[in-house]
Amino acid sequence: MSDGTDFLYPFIEADERDAGSLLVDLAESARSKVATSASLRSLTLASARPAIASAALAMSSRFRRGGRLFVFGNGGSSTDAASLTALFVAPPWGRSLPARDLVDDTAVLTALGNDVGFDLVFSRQLIAHAQPDDIAIALSTSGNSRNLLSAFGEAARRGLLTVGIAGYSGGDMARSPDVEHCLVVDADSVHRIQETQAALGFELWRGVQRDLQRDEEVP
Amino acid sequence: MASIVEDVRDIADPDVGDALALAAFVLAKRFAAGATLWCFAPEWPAHARHVAVEFVHPVLVGKRALPAVSIHAVDPSCALRSLVRPGDVVLAVSGPGSAATTDVMRRAPAWGATSIWITAGGGGSHRHTSADHIVPAGGHDADSPAEHDGRLVLLYHVLWELTHVCFEHPGLLTEPDVCSGDGEVCVTCSDEGRVGEVITADSRGWARVRTSGGDEVIDTTIVDEVAVGDLVLIHAGMAIAVLP
Repeated sequence: MSDGTDFLYPFIEADERDAGSLLVDLAESARSKVATSASLRSLTLASARPAIASAALAMSSRFRRGGRLFVFGNGGSSTDAASLTALFVAPPWGRSLPARDLVDDTAVLTALGNDVGFDLVFSRQLIAHAQPDDIAIALSTSGNSRNLLSAFGEAARRGLLTVGIAGYSGGDMARSPDVEHCLVVDADSVHRIQETQAALGFELWRGVQRDLQRDEEVP
Repeated sequence: MASIVEDVRDIADPDVGDALALAAFVLAKRFAAGATLWCFAPEWPAHARHVAVEFVHPVLVGKRALPAVSIHAVDPSCALRSLVRPGDVVLAVSGPGSAATTDVMRRAPAWGATSIWITAGGGGSHRHTSADHIVPAGGHDADSPAEHDGRLVLLYHVLWELTHVCFEHPGLLTEPDVCSGDGEVCVTCSDEGRVGEVITADSRGWARVRTSGGDEVIDTTIVDEVAVGDLVLIHAGMAIAVLP
């Protein structure tokens, strides 16, 4: 910015210097957060590889039998649930698979929330839709959301395959007998957890696609 | 550790730290002045909802709730036109080839809005548009698209985190923007060529246009006929060009 006219604008120059040092700090902080996210993602995917493979195998055998996938979560995780659903339905490659997110229909969500309570907004939808070959995936950073645990209870009673994606130490989701496969991002920042949860969801999807691709191979 | 370094390079553009820093600083300044953040993601609407919920309902106790809205419409320009006020911010999360995004970014100057584009990597139209801030995810990977594997989520998470860091420096948030002056349009510097969006036009060579400073009536006799929705470059009360 030094073009020889700085002396004309002493106050602007002074302020620019201050904002400049803030910007340097912000950029450094951004790079460090990106690095932390990358390393958490790397470590989590490496340690969860067997769990992802086994959940993906169980999912693809459900899809083969005509099962459908229901995905749900609260807040930011509800949007990650919607993104994961979109990945199964409209994949960048591979087969399109039947998936729905249970947060999409605000009429259903508000009707249930208003009439039976928010703890039951997902389980009541499973009561209406679920068949024994279906799959339920829920995302939660704490692993403790009551509406997810209640939906997993309902899903397990109806014979669905249940997959939980949690954070921190997994919370109640990791301990629940209703959750057959629980993938945990062992971290304590909601943001970093969600980023790696998205990566886990992606690997799960990739595992399913790879399993299903084997069906196409000529023996 | 080598693999982690590679992962970092993989996960985000090397310049993304600077892009995020500047976008967060400007966003914080706009919020401090009363802006609303309008989020849209034509191809992946869930990402727009995720950005908005971060700001409205912060995960960290004690961080202030900020006005952010997600818009999902077939034509985001049409939906945003009536909602966006001068001083607001529009934020897209979309692929580099998103025509709907490009259209909003072109119009943002006429609406008086600052624009931020969080985008998956790869070449595309974003390289040539006038979005004020472009925050790109790293290398284009057809096998693992940024919109699906968490890399775009990371970018808007960090944007939120940095924006709140800026609020710890309230003195810096009230300073006027410093104009870079390198574009063909510079509202701060001069009337060299301000962007206007045509609201109504008549056959006698007059048009009512929306600009960052409000509505005004301009002379359109020296350009070809203008239609409602056209973007024009205004100089001294006259349309001097219709933007392509």
